[in-house]
Amino acid sequence: MTGNRWAGEAARTAALRVLAERGGLAVTLVFYVLVTVVLASLWRAAVGANGGSVAGYSVVAITWYVAMTEATTVSIRQRLISDVGRDIGSGAIAVELLRPAPVLGVRLAGELGHVLPRLAACVVTGGVLSTMVSGPPPEPAALALALPSLVLAVACNLAAQYAFAGAAFWLRDAGSAWFLYQKLVFILGGMLIPLEALPDWMHRVASVLPFRAMSYSPARLASGHFEPVLLVEQAGWLVLLLAGAAAIFRAGERRLQVVGG
Amino acid sequence: MRGLLATLRNAVAEARANRAALVSQVAIMVVNDIVWVVFWILFFRRVGTVRGWDGERILLLLSVLTCAGGIALGVLANARRVGNMAVDGDLDGVLALPVPPLAHLLVRRMEAVNIGDLVFGIALFASIGSHTVARTAVFAGVVIAVATLLTGFLVLTGSLAFFIGRNEGGELGFHAMVLLGSYPVDVFAGAVKVVLYTVVPAAFVSSVPARLIEDFDVVRALGLAGVAGLFAFAGWATFTLGLRRYTSGSVWTRP
Amino acid sequence: MRSRLETWITAVPNLKWNLDELFGEGDRLCAQFTFTGTHRGPLRDGRGNELAPGRKALRIRGVGVYVVDAGKIIDSSIYSTSAPSEARRGRRNSCASPTPGQPRYGMAIEVRHLTKVFETGRRRSLRRVEAVDDLSLTVEAGERVAYIGPNGAGKSTSIKILTGILHPTRGEATVLGVVPWLDRRRLAARIGTLFGQRSLLWFELTPRQSYRMLAAIYGLDRAQEQARVGDLAELLEAGDLFDLPVRNLSLGQRMRCELAACMLHEPEVLFLDEPTIGLDLLAKQRFRELLVRLNTERRTTIFLTSHDVADIEHVAERAIVINHGAVIYDDDVTAMRRTLLSTKLVEVGLSEPAELPTIAGVSLLEHSATAMKLSVDTTTTSIRCVLDTVLDGLPVVDISVLDPPLEQVIAAIYARPRR
Repeated sequence: MTGNRWAGEAARTAALRVLAERGGLAVTLVFYVLVTVVLASLWRAAVGANGGSVAGYSVVAITWYVAMTEATTVSIRQRLISDVGRDIGSGAIAVELLRPAPVLGVRLAGELGHVLPRLAACVVTGGVLSTMVSGPPPEPAALALALPSLVLAVACNLAAQYAFAGAAFWLRDAGSAWFLYQKLVFILGGMLIPLEALPDWMHRVASVLPFRAMSYSPARLASGHFEPVLLVEQAGWLVLLLAGAAAIFRAGERRLQVVGG
Repeated sequence: MRGLLATLRNAVAEARANRAALVSQVAIMVVNDIVWVVFWILFFRRVGTVRGWDGERILLLLSVLTCAGGIALGVLANARRVGNMAVDGDLDGVLALPVPPLAHLLVRRMEAVNIGDLVFGIALFASIGSHTVARTAVFAGVVIAVATLLTGFLVLTGSLAFFIGRNEGGELGFHAMVLLGSYPVDVFAGAVKVVLYTVVPAAFVSSVPARLIEDFDVVRALGLAGVAGLFAFAGWATFTLGLRRYTSGSVWTRP
Repeated sequence: MRSRLETWITAVPNLKWNLDELFGEGDRLCAQFTFTGTHRGPLRDGRGNELAPGRKALRIRGVGVYVVDAGKIIDSSIYSTSAPSEARRGRRNSCASPTPGQPRYGMAIEVRHLTKVFETGRRRSLRRVEAVDDLSLTVEAGERVAYIGPNGAGKSTSIKILTGILHPTRGEATVLGVVPWLDRRRLAARIGTLFGQRSLLWFELTPRQSYRMLAAIYGLDRAQEQARVGDLAELLEAGDLFDLPVRNLSLGQRMRCELAACMLHEPEVLFLDEPTIGLDLLAKQRFRELLVRLNTERRTTIFLTSHDVADIEHVAERAIVINHGAVIYDDDVTAMRRTLLSTKLVEVGLSEPAELPTIAGVSLLEHSATAMKLSVDTTTTSIRCVLDTVLDGLPVVDISVLDPPLEQVIAAIYARPRR
């Protein structure tokens, strides 16, 4: 089918481009190591000060947890929402609408192609660092599940960010939305704090929001908790988010045709 | 001096004239800062005291950091742009005037959005702990010292662009400083801790000032002032030396 | 003045002397000159003072300062050049410093063998760009000079060196006696700069607010500032513009306010780098008139770079043409106009093929069955004569007289070799 071929091509091009820009990858890795070391140090100190366990996480577990949440966050381009919003606002999207492939599909595939090499690099680095610093993964079987979970996590994140950016079809500037979005992921997505460490009411709220699929799920698995249901959850959220983003973009396309680029 | 004050006055007027998206941008800044506060509150509620750091001290740290950051990025807004200005040839305007270039450059521009950080920091400080004149005085003092340090650091890394022709160091170093400075330094161990007191002096950006406010100590205060002065001097020296190599956008072909 | 000085310095064989600066106020003149030479026997100056008494043979090199009032030397001092600071002090003590508006003499700009090399690229692919290459020129105070060259000729670079923004690789230059890159701030207080692509005014504020800031920077007090702004408002016919935000001004209006900004501190030299870029014809013309007025009324030296030849014609008394970083042409504009701007083109449309009769000073550039393009040297023959001949002798359906494209004139100059 034309759509799939286009998506495959777009992903391949983007992946090649990323591999070509070794410099950018290096910067991303350096940044990843920095933030991971910082946050992990904080939590390790906290766990240490609390008799070796906080919210059920040991020092080893918390190290792996942080390594994975940071990997999912850092590997995604920071300016995604503002860039997409800008393309919508400037009418560049209108040009893409003329192409025979669905806009959202092509773009998402392209972004994924961009993200996956970075994600892989970060995960490998994070794994090595965690092993060196605190020991091997507490539950190898769970770690095996964590790998597909990581991919699902970034896919969910991308889909959600595109949905957010789609607001630019109506508002002129979606950039400010990004800040709020990122903070929500940080707290309710388990990026800064494991969800189990949140007060009960917050934990319950976070459980029904999609953000936990973007950061918490792979980290939970990698930190030694064999919970395959998380993958199912992620898949479900991914479907919902993709449908949502697609709906927004479709509505946006219609709006462009009515209002004009 | 008269010239600098007049320039500063104009910078304020210019920032006020540009009020378009100001409110929403400041709101975002404040939300951003509030989220950090929420994080720390949640964190310390769960883990209690960690290596001598608790909720109140971390909020002191945050208040110093946001205030000083607000000054370095909001009041002296060109500090972070030195690298770009060096490479893009934007320094011509300053060099054409009979003014000390760095000082004039720094007061030439204000970024209203970051002023929001400054305001938040003051509000945060006002909402924690006991309010004595002494404590407030120490707070003001450390904020000024840290702002000096941050500005000097920004100018220093930006001025390297004069020598390497590209603005690469630039803001990366600054973000690293702020990121590392956002955490209590005692959380880190060994080699990392040494680095944070020397090469990337993030410890002096927040941890040391926060401790000073709670527990003032002349030696440590002088240490902070010394480090701040050192970075300010290093920044100024690098900038002045770099001016000799300034190419001013005359060369269109650049890497 | 030089000739009068010559009579005051006893004619000495082998003594070379050079007039450096001359300040004047009415009959009171102050001359500073350098001299060098070898002399045997007593050496005296015009007042009978013996220089270096007791020495039989002198290798002399020094700075002399004479103060002349109503034709009589009233003070003189000789200083060795190994003590230039003494000379400066002596001059300061003996001479009145030039007051604004007074006739000024001496060199405003002196450039000797100036070279600026830019190095770009990384270590392996290092490229050296010689933006300025052994440039030498002098400009006297009160002159109006147009500094013309194609893009990349080195105009902007040389002007940036003269205003202290860039450091040269080699060579010397002084502006008003000051080395620009060594003494930038002191020079900046005495010169004005107007770079077409860089604004002196703050975009969101009114010009008046910018002037207040500039006045503080240049050390003018409130009264001086008000007076100057008022004067400039009148001179530039821009008074009603000063209280509008710069954002709301058209380019032409903005440039007039910019001109006021760079004149606020009454500079002795005004450097302008492509100031008319982007202005429409009318605005350009007005701007040029203002520059000429500034020069004639306030004796401000004007140094204008441009790649618009019309600026030569309407502003400058002297044109210096630069290409590849060096001077290739330097002469009065009247001479230039005579030799280079005297050609006109005549385009003729024909109803049937025809041959052009020979006319002195006319050369045939293009010839087809239906058209002819002629180049006329108006110093040899008048356009009137050519038109008469053509209209009488050829089957003309259409005729037009054009100035040669300016690019052609300039190209002719640029094609010349270096001096």
